[in-house]
Amino acid sequence: MNQSQATRRILRRETHSSRATVSAVTAILLAVLFLWLALETVLGLLGEPALLAAPGQLWRWLTGLPQATIPAGLAAAGAGVALLGLALLLTALAGGRRSRRALESDRTAVVVDDEVIAAAVSRRARLAAGLTPGQVTSTVSSRSVTVQVRPTSGVPADRDAIHAAVDGELAAYRLDRRLAPSVRILKEGVLGQ
Amino acid sequence: MSNTNRALNRILLALAGLVLLAAGAVTAAAGLVPDIAAAWTATGTFLADQARAALGSAPLPGRPGSWWSVAAVAVFLIAAALSVAWLASQGGGRTPRLARDDDGDRGATTIDAGLIGTAVGEALDGNRLVVGSNVSAWENRRGTGLRLRLEARKGASPRELADTAEELVRGIDALIGHPVPVLVRITTGVRSRVAGADRAR
Repeated sequence: MNQSQATRRILRRETHSSRATVSAVTAILLAVLFLWLALETVLGLLGEPALLAAPGQLWRWLTGLPQATIPAGLAAAGAGVALLGLALLLTALAGGRRSRRALESDRTAVVVDDEVIAAAVSRRARLAAGLTPGQVTSTVSSRSVTVQVRPTSGVPADRDAIHAAVDGELAAYRLDRRLAPSVRILKEGVLGQ
Repeated sequence: MSNTNRALNRILLALAGLVLLAAGAVTAAAGLVPDIAAAWTATGTFLADQARAALGSAPLPGRPGSWWSVAAVAVFLIAAALSVAWLASQGGGRTPRLARDDDGDRGATTIDAGLIGTAVGEALDGNRLVVGSNVSAWENRRGTGLRLRLEARKGASPRELADTAEELVRGIDALIGHPVPVLVRITTGVRSRVAGADRAR
């Protein structure tokens, strides 16, 4: 694939999360926290009663926390906060790949949802085995497609034929990264199809 | 295709995560180890004494309070403003105008994304593979690009859809007169589920 840098950039951004939602929530919480602290400090300066707690009160509460709380509760609260921090850190560091992928194209950047691929693969498997729509379900994960076939009772499904059909179909899509198919034939069939 | 600053998001989220992780770890340690709990209280008291001394060293003229409190208000307000700026940096970049060509004193020509949207919609009318389409223009420092979203009929081949899209993009190129960067998104949507499957042919 010989794509321009701009196209590669678009593809990269479209197939990975921008972390915008988590960032927006964090930014709102931070803004509220800082505005509240500013407000409490101003109220303290004007000699007005505090909204929730004056800065001095807040600090005294924080200082006396180990004495005022049962140790197990403090440890649990700390673990909770630490876990939240760890989750944020992982959000920042993880790849953030979305369930969509790029298709080769000469002119444009093409990104297709995994759901669309799953539906098309299901259809192809169904046609190859002569089944009805409800009998095949496909799941696309990052590197493979799992095709689950529920055969008609008394009519064995040809696993190899379905596998070959699905493999050929996937190759025809020209995805940027190969998806390996795996076909599972369920033991229990459906009646009267 | 939005202009979200992704590197900034990740850096700030990592910082926030590290701060919370450290605070949580210290709190949990204070709950588990009595020595750390004692050190916590001692540090808190020490810092409170320091703060009281500092507040007393710069009193406001003619009234109770300290310049340090005024400085704290300023710091909190700046921090809040930076948080709001971070919030405002999410998304953005969508523009109604796809292309513009200045013809000197004879005027200028602009093309709206809506025109392309209508053209694409008409080209896809009655298409077996596509149940809906949407066109939007996005602007960043590198220029303006087009985002073409095709809602696939259930079971439609992504390759056939991509080829359809490429044909559409060639038409758009001819319409505009010069190639613009295009992102084609092949998705499912409400209409994909309602419209029924692509039948065998």
